[in-house]
Amino acid sequence: MSTTLDPNASPAAAPVKARGRVLPAPVTPPEIALIGVLVVLWIALAAATPAFLSAGSVIPLLVEVAPVALIGIGMTFVIITGGIDVSVAGAIMVCSVITGKLMRDNAIPLWLCLVVAVATGAVLGLFNGVLIAYGRVHAIIITFGTANLFLFIGLRIFGSTPIAGMPNTLAWFGRGVDGRTVGVPNSFAITVILTAIAWWYLRHTPGGRHFFAVGGDPVAARLAGIRVQRRILTAYVITGLLVGLASIFTLAKGTSNLDQSVGSGQELAVIAAVVIGGTSIMGGRGSVLGTLLGALLVQTVKSGVIQLGWPSQLSDLFVGVFIVVAVGTDLLRRRARREP
Amino acid sequence: MTADTAAPPAAPTPTGRSRADRILEAVLTQRIVLLAILIVVVVGWLMYLSANGYLSADYDFDYMSAVLIDAVPLALLAFAELVVIVSGRGGIDLSVGAMVSLIGMIFGFAYGQWGWPLPLAVLLAVVVGAVLGAVNGFLVARIGFPALIATLATYYAYKSIAMVINGQKPINSAQIQELYSLTKSVELPVIGPYIPNVPLGVFTFLIPVLVVLWLALGRGTYGRRLYAIGTNDVAARWAGVDVAATRMRAYVTSGVLSGLVAVYITAQFASARPDAGTAGNGLALPAITIAVLGGVAITGGIGRIAGVLLAALLIVWLNAGIILYFSGNTGTQFQLLALGVVLILAALLNGLTTRRFGGGD
Amino acid sequence: MAQQPRLTLTGVVKSYGAVKAIRHADFELQPGQVHALVGENGAGKSTLIKIISGATAPDAGSVTYDGQSVTITSTVDAINLGIATVYQEPQLFGELTVAENIFMGREIVTRGRVDWAAQNDSVVKLLESLDLPAKLATATVASLSVATQQQVSIAKALAGDAKVLILDEPSAILTDAEIEVLFGVIRRLAGDGVAIIYISHRLDEVITIADQVTVMRDGATIGTYPVADMTVRRIAELMVGDALSENTEPRTAPEGDPVLELKSLARAGAFRDVSLQLRSGEILGLYGLIGSGVAEIAECIYGLTKASGGDIVVQGRPVAPKSPREAARNGIALLPANRKTEGMFSFQSIAFNVSIAHLQKLSLARAFVDRSGERSVVKDLMKRLAVRASDENQAVGTLSGGNAQKVMLARQLVERPKLLLLAEPTQGVDIGAKEEIHRIITELADNGTAVLMVTSDLQEALRMADRLLVVRAGTITAEFGPGARQADVLAAAAGDREGTASA
Repeated sequence: MSTTLDPNASPAAAPVKARGRVLPAPVTPPEIALIGVLVVLWIALAAATPAFLSAGSVIPLLVEVAPVALIGIGMTFVIITGGIDVSVAGAIMVCSVITGKLMRDNAIPLWLCLVVAVATGAVLGLFNGVLIAYGRVHAIIITFGTANLFLFIGLRIFGSTPIAGMPNTLAWFGRGVDGRTVGVPNSFAITVILTAIAWWYLRHTPGGRHFFAVGGDPVAARLAGIRVQRRILTAYVITGLLVGLASIFTLAKGTSNLDQSVGSGQELAVIAAVVIGGTSIMGGRGSVLGTLLGALLVQTVKSGVIQLGWPSQLSDLFVGVFIVVAVGTDLLRRRARREP
Repeated sequence: MTADTAAPPAAPTPTGRSRADRILEAVLTQRIVLLAILIVVVVGWLMYLSANGYLSADYDFDYMSAVLIDAVPLALLAFAELVVIVSGRGGIDLSVGAMVSLIGMIFGFAYGQWGWPLPLAVLLAVVVGAVLGAVNGFLVARIGFPALIATLATYYAYKSIAMVINGQKPINSAQIQELYSLTKSVELPVIGPYIPNVPLGVFTFLIPVLVVLWLALGRGTYGRRLYAIGTNDVAARWAGVDVAATRMRAYVTSGVLSGLVAVYITAQFASARPDAGTAGNGLALPAITIAVLGGVAITGGIGRIAGVLLAALLIVWLNAGIILYFSGNTGTQFQLLALGVVLILAALLNGLTTRRFGGGD
Repeated sequence: MAQQPRLTLTGVVKSYGAVKAIRHADFELQPGQVHALVGENGAGKSTLIKIISGATAPDAGSVTYDGQSVTITSTVDAINLGIATVYQEPQLFGELTVAENIFMGREIVTRGRVDWAAQNDSVVKLLESLDLPAKLATATVASLSVATQQQVSIAKALAGDAKVLILDEPSAILTDAEIEVLFGVIRRLAGDGVAIIYISHRLDEVITIADQVTVMRDGATIGTYPVADMTVRRIAELMVGDALSENTEPRTAPEGDPVLELKSLARAGAFRDVSLQLRSGEILGLYGLIGSGVAEIAECIYGLTKASGGDIVVQGRPVAPKSPREAARNGIALLPANRKTEGMFSFQSIAFNVSIAHLQKLSLARAFVDRSGERSVVKDLMKRLAVRASDENQAVGTLSGGNAQKVMLARQLVERPKLLLLAEPTQGVDIGAKEEIHRIITELADNGTAVLMVTSDLQEALRMADRLLVVRAGTITAEFGPGARQADVLAAAAGDREGTASA
């Protein structure tokens, strides 16, 4: 009897079907819990301040979520491979500043803004990716370094005065009425669509599954014939591309002035969203759906705190607590599973 | 200062290679040697630039001594990262900046508003630091959180509390303002006239901490346990080491050091500011950079006080020169560049030497 | 039958720097043959396997595959040729399912997406051919036991249409029953024409399963012999180079006071009703196959796990150590079974490794390390145990298996322990060092230490132990004296089955 696995060979007379799920469930219990928490929060906030559910409050919330969740997709890829990227804040700055200046000084059209921003992001992501994939250095160190590097570049290009008087070119991406389709901000809609595409890619394509392999055990992945360095590089380039697009969203949702604090602190917001969403920082396991939910949660907290009239910095405290609860429950669940 | 860690570092087995190759290996793998050489090179070059008028002020020993005022907090926080990163299991502390902010505010209340005597207020700062660090330690050592996540969460939490407890306002009362005298430069007794004035903080903060840590890590039983759990914490448990307690102590130490830095910075700026440690990129990033530059391995078990100290000096003196070379804001921008480039090169060097020479200092 | 050999290596030489790992190796593998490769640690076996599996390239020599000359430059090359390697540590992706693991890198793709159903069906067929349950296909690897994971690794190797299968110490973590299944699979594969290289220290297994055996010694292949002409003894002699010294004199154990008493010790899910008495100066062997609970008994005495019932009495006092530290305070020492993961601090020095368990004793005022005291203690132990290293500062990771194990043993001997627990004391250790370690243990016992030796090496157990207790299915089932026959002991350990063939 041959033991080769030839998919084209005609199956035995009565093929035995595998019992049990073919793949892990599409929406895992932690994600369901997260949805539950979100719903409860929204209901509680709506009860406390009815204004919370108004268009004037929900729409800005979704507009704020969009760039964080978008970059979060890339960050999820990166963390699944066992890495991390703390340089996204600096990268946002570089992309925003370059695009902003070109918009103001050269009045470039929308599509060109898009190209410039995304291309810049891709280049920055490529820089990270090459150093991390081929430099054999841990990602946190490299991206700490490039965070500074990008910030430096951004500040140099920025110059000494705030960039004022940018035209309204990017309105479609989330500013005012032009930025909405059937009431939903376009940036958010794009984010959701891209999240769905990424989700499908990670779940159903070989390339997507290989990210999990690389994060789970890079040595075994190489033995399986996976181009490990390529996967790692791709994750950072994807992040870079998404950073570019997110900077467009950021420019769109802001005013016509750009100051040098753009992007500041975003890397932590993105990582918080990814972690709350259930992706493991150790790699090998994760979900972009969770990241989207995590970003929504973080922003809900921020909005809620402001709506309730509490000091805005208090939201950070809640984010910290949520991180602890989300990761803690996951840890305890795994421990319980391992010791029956 | 040759600070030995744990047992004397393991010597690589000798093979037959050329003398030049072996010298190269020694330089690249002995981080302390490399840093010492770099300091000499950088300072020498800056002095040359100064002598030829490229800098806006004199880069001399007086200046180098004066800027040590900035080296104190950086070095202390870098030592905190050293202890935490050496403890292994992905050890890192992202919350040091936030701890500095929060403890600074509490110190500000105690000394600046409630009228506590200074020693008591400092003690309070240290105790609060220990408690904040213990929260990190509890999450990491007892519950099993990855340190990155735990300290990210506490970063958020502590940062927020620091801002909120005084309504985002700093504390600038008279007592606080007088504290500045704690950090200014003084002339040393006896040999004073022959050497530059040294900031007082070097003697009251840096050197005591340096001595205590060097003894504890290099000669102490705690140090052995710390390096053991950083190298292989399963084996450490089998060997009878209380892994959780040792790791907890590392994070508490980080908190204590943050407390000292909080007092120092409050004195240095004569103000307890709610964003003292979290403004801009925060203090955690430079601290981690200096630790890695100083030879600390991000995987744990490797890292020496002497290396981190030299790395702090290198960064501080390099930054001091950059400020003189460029005018205005440009200077601070190039400091960012320097920090980023140095970190990446240091890390690549770590990776290169581990591959080529099989690990080292 | 005159066949083209599947694989031949001729005149292979390999050096790592100044160290000659292989002086000269010739190896010929016929299809459909089970070919064992044996040799002490350092003899060159693992280097030879690395060359065949593509992990490294030879400095000289030629390799042919099915008659064609080939150059294997990478592990992927080897896999493409049909050479599959199953390592001791299963290299699987814990968070993914078994089916995904087996197909990783070779997914069945239809219209851009992975065809999960087709993959699962294939895997189920493969699993069933190996007597594994079908529902394993969708199980997450991390939820499986280590032994099952290894079986999955073997399945994975076979899934790639392997023509040469290398098994590196496959029986190390398998129970006897699982070994039988493995042997069945091996025989069937051989019948199908697959060539199998079987690496093992367990010479009795080699005699059972292999057709040919190649012995390596000091970096050279000494010869290839048909197994039918060989005995365990003869193979061992070839591996060592001279006749083994036979210790037929049973040791007269000094009659000391009872040091350890276990009274109906139990731990839910691992073992129950374990009672024994151990006197000082006695060497008590605990023999059991993996999964019998024998390793867990040692861990419980040492405080790594908690007992759920029964008593541990040390020198008349009941103790319940909750951690290794407490156990040490009661005079109990334990040599762990897996030194790489559980024992060694590999880039720290020998001195560090020895003193880490005794910082209280080697300290000044319990806060500072007494370095000169440490140095003299370590140097003394290194001499006693004949540890071959340049000095006490050498990194333990650079030592050979035998010397590293001696350092681990040295750690236990700093403070003369009343009770020494040894778990697999000579696993992964070459015959020379093995004899030395046995000598040291016997000496210890002669000087009053009570020794409890947990081992799955039956010959070692029979040679060393004054009494031998057999553990099966979580409880003690038999006791033997030093003159016992291997077959009897094995039968007791395995239950109703006849003992497997041994020399």
